[in-house]
Amino acid sequence: MEKKIKTIIIDDEKLARDIVRNYLRKYDRVELLAECSNGFEALKQISELKPDLIFLDIQMPKVTGFELLEILDEPPVIIFTTAFDQYALKAFEVNATDYLLKPFSEERFEEAMQKAFKLISNKDDADKKIEDLVKHIEKKDEFIDRIVVKTGQKISIVPTEDIRYIEAQDDYTMLYTEKGNLLKQKTMKYFEENLDPNQFIRIHRSYFVKINLIKHIELFEKESYRVILNDGTKLPVSKTGYQKLKEIMN
Amino acid sequence: MVNPFIKNKKILAAYFIVWFFIFLVQIYVLNFFLNLSLFFAFLDSAFFNLIYMFLGISLWYMVSFNSIENYNVVKIVLNHIAAALITSGLWILFGYYIMSSVITGKNPYPDFLTNSLVWRFLIGILYYIVIVAIDYVIIYYTNFQEKQIKEVELKSLVKEAELKSLKYQINPHFIFNSLNSISSLTLSNPSKAQEMTIKLSTFLRGTLSKNEKQKSKLADEINNAKLYLDIEKVRFADKFEFVEEFGEECKELEIPSMILQPLLENAIKHGVYESLDKVIIHFICKPEKDYLKLTVENNFDPESIPRKGEGIGIKNIKNRLKLIYNQDNLLTVEKNNNTFRVNIFIPR
Repeated sequence: MEKKIKTIIIDDEKLARDIVRNYLRKYDRVELLAECSNGFEALKQISELKPDLIFLDIQMPKVTGFELLEILDEPPVIIFTTAFDQYALKAFEVNATDYLLKPFSEERFEEAMQKAFKLISNKDDADKKIEDLVKHIEKKDEFIDRIVVKTGQKISIVPTEDIRYIEAQDDYTMLYTEKGNLLKQKTMKYFEENLDPNQFIRIHRSYFVKINLIKHIELFEKESYRVILNDGTKLPVSKTGYQKLKEIMN
Repeated sequence: MVNPFIKNKKILAAYFIVWFFIFLVQIYVLNFFLNLSLFFAFLDSAFFNLIYMFLGISLWYMVSFNSIENYNVVKIVLNHIAAALITSGLWILFGYYIMSSVITGKNPYPDFLTNSLVWRFLIGILYYIVIVAIDYVIIYYTNFQEKQIKEVELKSLVKEAELKSLKYQINPHFIFNSLNSISSLTLSNPSKAQEMTIKLSTFLRGTLSKNEKQKSKLADEINNAKLYLDIEKVRFADKFEFVEEFGEECKELEIPSMILQPLLENAIKHGVYESLDKVIIHFICKPEKDYLKLTVENNFDPESIPRKGEGIGIKNIKNRLKLIYNQDNLLTVEKNNNTFRVNIFIPR
C-alpha cells in the first residue's frame, strides 16, 4: 500500500479551510491530520505531526504564511492558498510548489495536488523549490519591517525598529534588541539585502547597527575606529564601514 | 469671439440708446447753433447717425482681428488709422449720396451739406476712436471674466479630483476572500451562500453608486457598514462583535458618504485580522452643539506588531474631511493599552 500523505490546512478563515477539506475528501492517499487557524498553532502542529503537505494562507494574524515558512526547519511541500495580489503571484509562478488563488476551482485544486504528489515522491526537489520560493518572496518585499525568530518552540516577532545591532555568528546572526538577544537562522547577506539602509548600516563584516543609536565614532588604534552606541556598547568599524559612516554622517 | 453687439442684448440696447442720444444732440446743434430748419436737422441727424450706427457694429470685427496679443502695436495702429479713414469716408459718402437724393429742390441744405463734409469726416474718425476703444474694453473685460471663471472651474476640478482619489476603494482582498467563502458555502450550505452573495452584491452596489454622491444620511451609511460587517462575520464567525450606541436623532443627519465603512474596515483589519481573541467594535454617535461626533472603538492585541500600510485608510478619511469642510481637526485617533479609538467630528 502507498504511504499516506500527512496533510495540514492552515488558514484563519473557517470557510476557507472547509473548502480545502471538502476537495481533499476524494484523495484516499491524503490523511488530514489537523486544521490550524493561526501561525503559532501551525508551527506547533507541524513540529509535532511532521506533515508531508501543508495548505498555507498568507494573510493570518500574528505570523504570516511567509514568516511561518521561514522558521520551519524542514518545510514540507507547500501549497499556498491566497487572495494575494498579482505582484506576489508573479513570483510564485516561477518557483512555487503551487499556489491557489482564492476562490479556486476543483480542477485547479486537482492540478496543484498532482504537482504536490510528484514533489512528495521526490523530496529533494521540493526542498530546493521552497528555498527558491522563500528567496523570491523576500526579494519582492521592499524592506523587512519585522523578523520572526524561533527559539525552541517559541516564536518571537521582532520589529526591526527594536533591533539595536546585529552580530554575525557563523551561519547565524545574533539580534541584540531592547528586550534581549535572539539567534536568527539567517546570514549577514540576508540582512544586507533586506534591511532598510536608511535604518541600519553595516559597519563591519560582522556587524549591522541601527543608525540612530550611534552616539559617536572614536579612533581605536592606528587607523581603526569604533562606534559607541547610546548605552555605551562599543562595536568595531572596518575600513569600508568607516567610509559608509562618513557618508551618512554628512 | 462673437460680436457682443449682436450676442448681448443689453450691450445692443445701450448702443442704440447712446446713438439715439447723439441723434438728439445733433438735431439740437444743427437747429440751434447752425440755424438749420428742424425738418432738415431731423433728417440729417437721422440718416447720418443711422449709417454710422450700423458701421459701428461692424467695427467689432476690426478690433477682434487686431487683438493686442496677436500683433505688434505699430501694425495695429496702422490698421486702425486705415480703417478709421475708410470708415469715415464711407460714412460721409453714403450720407452725402442719400441726403442729396432725399432732399432736392431749392433750399439751403445742399450747400450746408457740402460745407460740412470736412467736419463730418473728422467726427467720423472721432466716433471710430470711441467705438474701437469701447470694443477693446469689452474684449479685455470678457477675457478677464472668462479667465476668472476658468480659474474657479479649474480649482473645483482639482478639488473634485482630490476627493475622488481619496474616496473609498474596495479592498480587493476583501472581495476575493468573500468570494472564497461563498465558494466554500456552496458546498456546505447553499442557502447561506446565496444569502452572502446577495449581501456582497448589495454592498458593492452601494459602494459603487455612492461614489457619485458626496453626502448621505447616517442611517444609510450605517446600513451599508452593517452589510460589510455581516459579510466579515461570515468569514470570521465569532471573532468579533459589533455594538452600536446611537439615538434616533442621529439617523437623519447627513455625513460624508463612505466614511463610516472604511473606519469599521480599519477596525476589522487591525483588530480582527491580527488578533487571536474576540474583538468588540463599538460605534457611538453623539450629537454635540456644533458637531456630530462619531466614534469607532475596538480592542486590539497590543502584542501584535503593526504592519506596513497602517493608517492610510484613516489618513484618507482625514484628508477627505479636510477638503469637504476646510477644517483640519475633524479626526482624532486615541490609542491606549489595548483600545484603538477614532473620533470624527462632522460640523453641523
